[in-house]
Amino acid sequence: MECVSPVARRHATLGQWSMSRIRRFSVNKIAGMGTRFLPFADVASENVPLSRLLRLSMFQVTVGMALVLLVGTLNRVMIVELKVSATLVGVMISLPLVFAPLRMLIGFKSDTHRSALGLRRVPYIIKGTMLQFGGFAVMPFALLVLSGYGESYDAPIWLGHGSAALAFLLVGAGLHMVQTVGLALATDLVPEEDHPNVVGLMYVMLLVGMIVSAVVFGKLLDNYSPGRLIQCIQGAAVITIVLNGIALWKQEAMDRVRACTVVKQPKFGESIAKLMQGNGTIRLLVLIGLGTAGFGMSDVVLEPYGGQVLAMTVGETTWLTAIMAGGGLFGFALASYTLSRGASPVRLATFGVICGVVAFLSIIWSAHLLAAGLFMVAVLLAGFGGGLFSHGTLTATMRSAPRDQIGLSLGAWGAVQATSAGLAVVIGGIIRDVFNGASAAGLSAASLPYVPVFALEVALLLAALIAVLPLLKEKTRPDAPEIYAGE
Amino acid sequence: MSDNDLDKVWPTGLTLKEAEEVHSYLIDGTRVFGVIALLAHILVAVSTPWLG
Repeated sequence: MECVSPVARRHATLGQWSMSRIRRFSVNKIAGMGTRFLPFADVASENVPLSRLLRLSMFQVTVGMALVLLVGTLNRVMIVELKVSATLVGVMISLPLVFAPLRMLIGFKSDTHRSALGLRRVPYIIKGTMLQFGGFAVMPFALLVLSGYGESYDAPIWLGHGSAALAFLLVGAGLHMVQTVGLALATDLVPEEDHPNVVGLMYVMLLVGMIVSAVVFGKLLDNYSPGRLIQCIQGAAVITIVLNGIALWKQEAMDRVRACTVVKQPKFGESIAKLMQGNGTIRLLVLIGLGTAGFGMSDVVLEPYGGQVLAMTVGETTWLTAIMAGGGLFGFALASYTLSRGASPVRLATFGVICGVVAFLSIIWSAHLLAAGLFMVAVLLAGFGGGLFSHGTLTATMRSAPRDQIGLSLGAWGAVQATSAGLAVVIGGIIRDVFNGASAAGLSAASLPYVPVFALEVALLLAALIAVLPLLKEKTRPDAPEIYAGE
Repeated sequence: MSDNDLDKVWPTGLTLKEAEEVHSYLIDGTRVFGVIALLAHILVAVSTPWLG
């Protein structure tokens, strides 16, 4: 089973020797500089320096950018500037959701990938990047044809619809693939005790990507023209390829031993069955699904709620997003800190859910008091709880993943998380619209369309608490497995 | 498998199989780019026709 020639091995050791000196020098330099400004600098371990992890986490920036473009920027552009019907826009935007459950398959494929180079993750990240790029490259023209721009007003209707749907599907498939396999690669690279810091880093980069691209695309598309739309979306395509290229450059090592070993390929179904046998895996997934839906449902209703019910100005309501993101950042930082010092991720996630229940109850209560201050504090608390919850559950997933099923585990996490987040936004929007009709008919107060959404969030979070209770009880058992025991 | 250096190709020092795999990524990428470019050109031609 020996594949490496003695000469090659000697070269490799020589290379490693000089590289490790340079690397140790640069790690000390960067770690000395970075820890002062970044809360997650503890990741810089001997074998994977912080600089490399920061570089790897750049794929999350492109994922965040794609999410913002799909759900935020293009949503508005299609409805306001391109005059596409809101229903059609809704369908197009929820199309990428179709691929969320397929994340498990992608993760499984990357776990069992057969490659002469012994690579498992990089081929899939490259493929995902290509799909995302391709989707963005076609998207502006597809949207223009969809809206009947120029000569395309008499183009067959299936051409516009079909190509726009294809573009959204490509971007969706690409971003799910990149995120699933990218997270699996990060889990591969870093020893278990550093997982909390990696998770923190990944979430912060996702948030950074979303905020920066929301601001930049918003500014760029302020004075809209078809040419500007093409520039923006194709610019996003190029940025995707460049950043993902930098992110994965030389991250995964070639593995000639793995390439030579012939193992029996497990079946997808068998693999899932094996994963689900893991103690508490299903409960953890239920917790992730209910909690993500609970935290995510208010995304579309927070700003109109602040504006219509609490009479906040437009400037004040745009601050809500920033407040929530700030709370989330604080949650990530605190979670990274406590988890890397041995706290149990499931307990932390549970604490996050409790914060969420309190936060959404006070948001409902603030409608009675008409207290904008209380509302702001509650939004901050919701962001904080959401941060703790996301961090805790992803860390728990990474910790409990069997070494040969990392891709599948993270695929399951991503499938549940992305599906429930997407469904939550859709359901939240539907509830708001249904009750909006009632409220417009003069049936009741302005707060009516929003209170049911927040109440449903509280209910979902309480259900998540019930689901997680048995996991917390098992903590007291001396032979409790990794995910409950922490470090 | 490849203790003999006959199987290796230079200047990369990869084995033939490995080199072929790298090559296959290049070919696949070119195909995907080609299809995307074709589709984009068709869509542009539909909305703002040239040579017409």
